[in-house]
Amino acid sequence: MMADFRAICARSLCLPLALLLAPSAASCVAASEVLDVPTPYLPSTRLNVDELLRLAEVGPQDVVIDLGSGDGRIVIAAVRDYGARGVGVEIDEMLVAESNDNARRAGVADRVVFRHGDVLAADLKDATVVTMYLLPVLVATLKPKLLKELKPGTRIVAHDYGFPDWKADRRVMISKTYYLYIVPAQVAGKWRLHARLPVGERDYEFDLDQRYQEIRGGARVAGGFLPAFEARLVGNRIAFVLVEDDMSHRFEGRVQGEMMEGVVRSGYGPVLTENRWRATRVPPDAK
Amino acid sequence: MIMFLFRHIAIIACAALTVATPARAQPFDVPFVPTPQVVVDEMLRLANVGPGDFVIDLGSGDGRIPITAAKKFGARALGVDLDYHLIIQSEESARQAAVEDRVKFLQQDLFKTDLGPATVITMYLLPAVNRRLRPQLLDLKPGTRIVAHDFDLDDWRPDRKITIRKNVFLWIVPARVAGRWRMRVALPGGERAIELELRQRFQEIDGLARAEGQIMAPLWEPRLAGDAISFVVVDGEDRDHEASLYFEGRVSGGVMEGEVRRGVGSAQTLMKWRAVKVGQ
Repeated sequence: MMADFRAICARSLCLPLALLLAPSAASCVAASEVLDVPTPYLPSTRLNVDELLRLAEVGPQDVVIDLGSGDGRIVIAAVRDYGARGVGVEIDEMLVAESNDNARRAGVADRVVFRHGDVLAADLKDATVVTMYLLPVLVATLKPKLLKELKPGTRIVAHDYGFPDWKADRRVMISKTYYLYIVPAQVAGKWRLHARLPVGERDYEFDLDQRYQEIRGGARVAGGFLPAFEARLVGNRIAFVLVEDDMSHRFEGRVQGEMMEGVVRSGYGPVLTENRWRATRVPPDAK
Repeated sequence: MIMFLFRHIAIIACAALTVATPARAQPFDVPFVPTPQVVVDEMLRLANVGPGDFVIDLGSGDGRIPITAAKKFGARALGVDLDYHLIIQSEESARQAAVEDRVKFLQQDLFKTDLGPATVITMYLLPAVNRRLRPQLLDLKPGTRIVAHDFDLDDWRPDRKITIRKNVFLWIVPARVAGRWRMRVALPGGERAIELELRQRFQEIDGLARAEGQIMAPLWEPRLAGDAISFVVVDGEDRDHEASLYFEGRVSGGVMEGEVRRGVGSAQTLMKWRAVKVGQ
């Protein structure tokens, strides 16, 4: 019986495997070449649509943009079942017309827009959620555009094919694999971090390295380095722990362009203190 | 046991060192050192220790873990150690910290300690000792939290791991769920009987579900944390009418029960389910 189980699983395991095997050179393919590779129209099932929107935790505040929206089912479900607003982008004009019909029939025509066009030219600035079910080569080509144009905190959900080199913030397997990526703020570089801690005022030189949402770094102090432990970046929310004076100082805050600020909690229990912290970016050329 | 002795000697030596050196100069990983205070704090934090907890510290050394659990996290605590002098020292420290009414220290062998009353076990022992303790730990009440630093429990993977100065591990004692279960669940189409077959390796589970007259379907996203179980079954006759059934429930001996959600968004329905163990 368990052998059956493995056989069932093997089927769904092919997908991530296929991802690993997909040529990493995909991102080098020029957009014009990609345009010549049509993405076959294979509609997501009702189940796929539900799992995607659920993984992105779509709600009434969201604007969902579906890249390659087909007959409009994802956009329509996002509006009808989750109260969001929706935009579909589809290169096939017939499918755009069909989507508009479907939206009218579902009674959501006033809250959806279907645009006829190329996903690589789509206007993404209003999106809070991007959904896609595209071939790996197109996913790879889209990535720089998504990272550049989407606001930090925007959720990208995909099924079957995710970004090969960008670790998903969440991955769910329900018959097939779904990926959630949260667009990270840009935090790499040098910062000057000012905090009032129980041990005194601190003005650290604070360095961060970044690979998508994965960050590491630390603070330089006279004669030493305090590593940033448990460093996390989710959209524009950042958190890390510095240990000084045998005590943990837990920083949480938001990144806004050239500035970060938030609250730092030091110690626990009766000795817990809470203070504001703030960091400003040191321009690369500055000493 | 000789190892413990080493650790204790080191603890005393290091306690002396801590006084002599400025607190900012942090010594790095030396074998058999007492747990740095910041790591004690983070161990208890990772286990989410609170006023409702009873913490047992195995190899309590100078008593810093039980004392911190009481002083900073409001818990009750027991420390056990083989070294009589350390027990005396710990009791004195507890008085100084004004937590002697909530903290107790016993000079005894940790293997002979009754761990049953604990909601949280803390330990900083050597890998071989951890391994020997493992069967006892697995026998604890499901949901009991175990925290350790530096050394893990071999192939029993931690439920969480954090790194703050040191690697700190959290395990949650899993309920025993392996075997065959028969479940009844009310679904929009009527009540259904589903047979579950669960496999388990510590907290990692997987399994299959079979509804009457249907082929076996895998349990997706199966999770077990203490006595809390959850999994997803894809229900439906064909590709166009599939929906996920999200099961969540509690395990209590040979019974599991909870709620199951079907569908998402505004079309979601919530129903009760209950399963009874019918075989190994």
